[in-house]
Amino acid sequence: MRVSLGGFVDRLLRPLHHWVWSDFDRRVRKLIAFGEVEGDGGRDILRAAELTPDPLLRRLYLAHAIDELHHADLFRQRSAALLRTRSTRLSSLFNATPLPGGHGLDDLTIEGEPDHRLLAFLHIAEKAAAGRFAIYREIVDDDPATQAIFEEILRDEVFHMNYTYTQLARISPASYRRHVWRARASRLWKRYLRFAAVLAGVFGSAMLTLQYFLLVPLFAWLAKRAEKREPAGWVAITREHIESPTSQY
Amino acid sequence: MNILGISAHYHDSAAALVVDGVPVCAVQEERLSRHKNDASFPAAAIEWCLDHAALEPEALDAVVFYERSMLKFERILTCALRSFPRSWRSFPQAIKNSLGEKVWVRGIIASHLGVPRSKIFFTSHHAAHAAAAFFTAPSRHAAILTADGVGEWATLTVGHGERRANGRADITLLREIRYPHSLGMLYSTFTAYLGFAVNEDEYKVMGLAAYGRPTMVEQVRKLIRRTPDGAFALVPEYFEYHTTAARSYSATFVELFGPPRSSFDPIDLETSEGRRFADCAASVQRVLEDTLVDMAGALQRETGLRDLCLGGGVALNGVANARILAEAGFERVFVPPAPGDAGCALGAALYADRVYFGNADREVPDHPFWGPRVDAGELARAAREDSQPVEDLAEPELLEHVAGELASGRIVGWMDGASEFGPRALGHRSILAAPHSVEIRDRLNRDIKFREEFRPFAPVTTVEAAERYFELPPGGLRLARFMSGVFPVRPEWRSMLAAVTHVDGSARLQALDRDMAPRLYSLLEAYGRRTGIPVLLNTSFNIAGEPIVNRALEGYSTFRRCGIDMLVAGTAVVTKRASARPAPLEEEIACAQSAAASGAV
Repeated sequence: MRVSLGGFVDRLLRPLHHWVWSDFDRRVRKLIAFGEVEGDGGRDILRAAELTPDPLLRRLYLAHAIDELHHADLFRQRSAALLRTRSTRLSSLFNATPLPGGHGLDDLTIEGEPDHRLLAFLHIAEKAAAGRFAIYREIVDDDPATQAIFEEILRDEVFHMNYTYTQLARISPASYRRHVWRARASRLWKRYLRFAAVLAGVFGSAMLTLQYFLLVPLFAWLAKRAEKREPAGWVAITREHIESPTSQY
Repeated sequence: MNILGISAHYHDSAAALVVDGVPVCAVQEERLSRHKNDASFPAAAIEWCLDHAALEPEALDAVVFYERSMLKFERILTCALRSFPRSWRSFPQAIKNSLGEKVWVRGIIASHLGVPRSKIFFTSHHAAHAAAAFFTAPSRHAAILTADGVGEWATLTVGHGERRANGRADITLLREIRYPHSLGMLYSTFTAYLGFAVNEDEYKVMGLAAYGRPTMVEQVRKLIRRTPDGAFALVPEYFEYHTTAARSYSATFVELFGPPRSSFDPIDLETSEGRRFADCAASVQRVLEDTLVDMAGALQRETGLRDLCLGGGVALNGVANARILAEAGFERVFVPPAPGDAGCALGAALYADRVYFGNADREVPDHPFWGPRVDAGELARAAREDSQPVEDLAEPELLEHVAGELASGRIVGWMDGASEFGPRALGHRSILAAPHSVEIRDRLNRDIKFREEFRPFAPVTTVEAAERYFELPPGGLRLARFMSGVFPVRPEWRSMLAAVTHVDGSARLQALDRDMAPRLYSLLEAYGRRTGIPVLLNTSFNIAGEPIVNRALEGYSTFRRCGIDMLVAGTAVVTKRASARPAPLEEEIACAQSAAASGAV
């Protein structure tokens, strides 16, 4: 089995991967996140199996979805097993998933997508995931059980990236290479959009937090004062209130 | 009048269409989008409803949203202000969530459907719950009690509904209990504490409660005090849900009950820790029941009415419902098939029809089957393309065949007609099995549902046979119509109904009326002729974490990847072949693997 060791960016990030996987809490959190991502991915591909008009693709998608859902189970079971070895409080160290894994950063759209676009997308995503998992497999050499999971998943990922490619060539023989390139471009664009959305979210949160401390205190004092005047227990409902049909208040 | 009801943006969004006072269709968005508890704007559900009724959006006379979004925003903002400065983390997220979409619902509906804003109406959240409960119930005059986590401000309301001699119908809500004092949030807080998903896994707490003893009732009562006027108030220092989105219970709560359960730890009832969690579940369940029974009893004494309509997510608690029926003084208790937020789509449309527009009351068909119909041809085509054996059987032959398979221990995916509206599978999207042995139950948990061992399975039987096997109080058959009550299995039948008898000897029964689901009723009869016991195990046709199946193809894909032996959709019957992957797929896999080996990709 030949799997390239990830893309250029992943190779650059290798020290960061080491940092993530070297810590117990981060490792567990990463495995939990993988379990969720693989489960979501499996359900998306299952949906593709239900929607495709192509019988062979339906069977392949179904097999693919079953694999992804199995991977989710493997990750969940491993994270649970690791958790049982220590009474870890997951909130203690690191709450975010620092690095991508599986289809972690890829938004997979199923409804209304033609099969060629979906196959091209899956091919690119699986190839990237296979590269990344190959790196993780090497990094977790101190943890044979987790390493065995990556080994097993890697085998499936190779099948996934190959069937998506051969099927893409089958259903779109004249333009399958173009579809793959378009999928790559689309993936980059989606990553930019996601990055921009996260950046905007961070900026928005910072502005709102600033306003919270600058503007809210006076209103908070008034609200707390009003709360003290509120009696506990039943509050009568006025008929006018529930019968104002167009009011959002 | 054509009235579209919509619920969205919290959990479990849905759309329902009422034409000339009668529901014609209703569906939860999750059944179409295939995302469990999908809370997004129900675009697919609306589109399906309009297609089903062959209506263009311009033909709608009104679109009714199930809550007053600005009032809800006011509550969110007020709570953030009241908990200043502790709310500094949750404030930005709450504001972004509300201002991002939720408060603009009028504009969203107008732009999505292209209807003028003058046609868009709003009901209060609990009025929609009350309407879903009362206007669908065959009762002339009933008391109404709604309870959930929270709507706008209200968390629990009481009132009454009346169908008058002049043909008009009305609902009067008398009073409410306001956030943060909430029975639903109390239960959800324990759901989170016990390591389950809030707004989703509350029924697991109810299932777990049967394994425990209510040894912590006094501790739970420290969290909730009764007010002199007969209401209740939660004691704020034990909770954090009103100050932060991160956690619903406080450090004081943990001091009182001990460390919470991690969602990754299995519940082992053989250990003291596992028993503590079960006792905790039993205790909060007991307090919830006691409070509801007491409040319902007071409502009965106040109104003097014989019927009670229950609405809101708390009405999904079948154990509490059965106690209310037995102890609160009502003769009949009605719980709609969708008492939660999804049902508010139907409730909002009915409320607008009867109350806002003053239209004459119309009898609402007493069944839960308002969703898309299953297409037997779709299943047959997919199965044939996959070289799966398909049979197209006439009705009597099909029923005898399926009954025989069930009697021999096979597990059957059963799809029939229109799908259910609401969280229960009531015979149109069900997994059926023989109810007799624990092996079947364990097989279902292990190979099909992939879920916790402590969760019980429900039985379905005919209304005529129900009292033979189950101890039903007067009015119990009605409560069992939509699987809304938990009742004891008669002791002499428990060993023969082991797969559906919970550890405490109870079962969440569905008592089936022939008119409601005639094919399943006939299947029960056929099964009864073979085994002498016309009872089947009936569980929802889905796998853990997924919505109940809707189309035949979704049933088929579920059938293909779990241990269901036979799938029935209409007249089409597919029996699983021994080989998991048919030959052409093996060839395709070999082809792809050889490509991989040669480094083609």
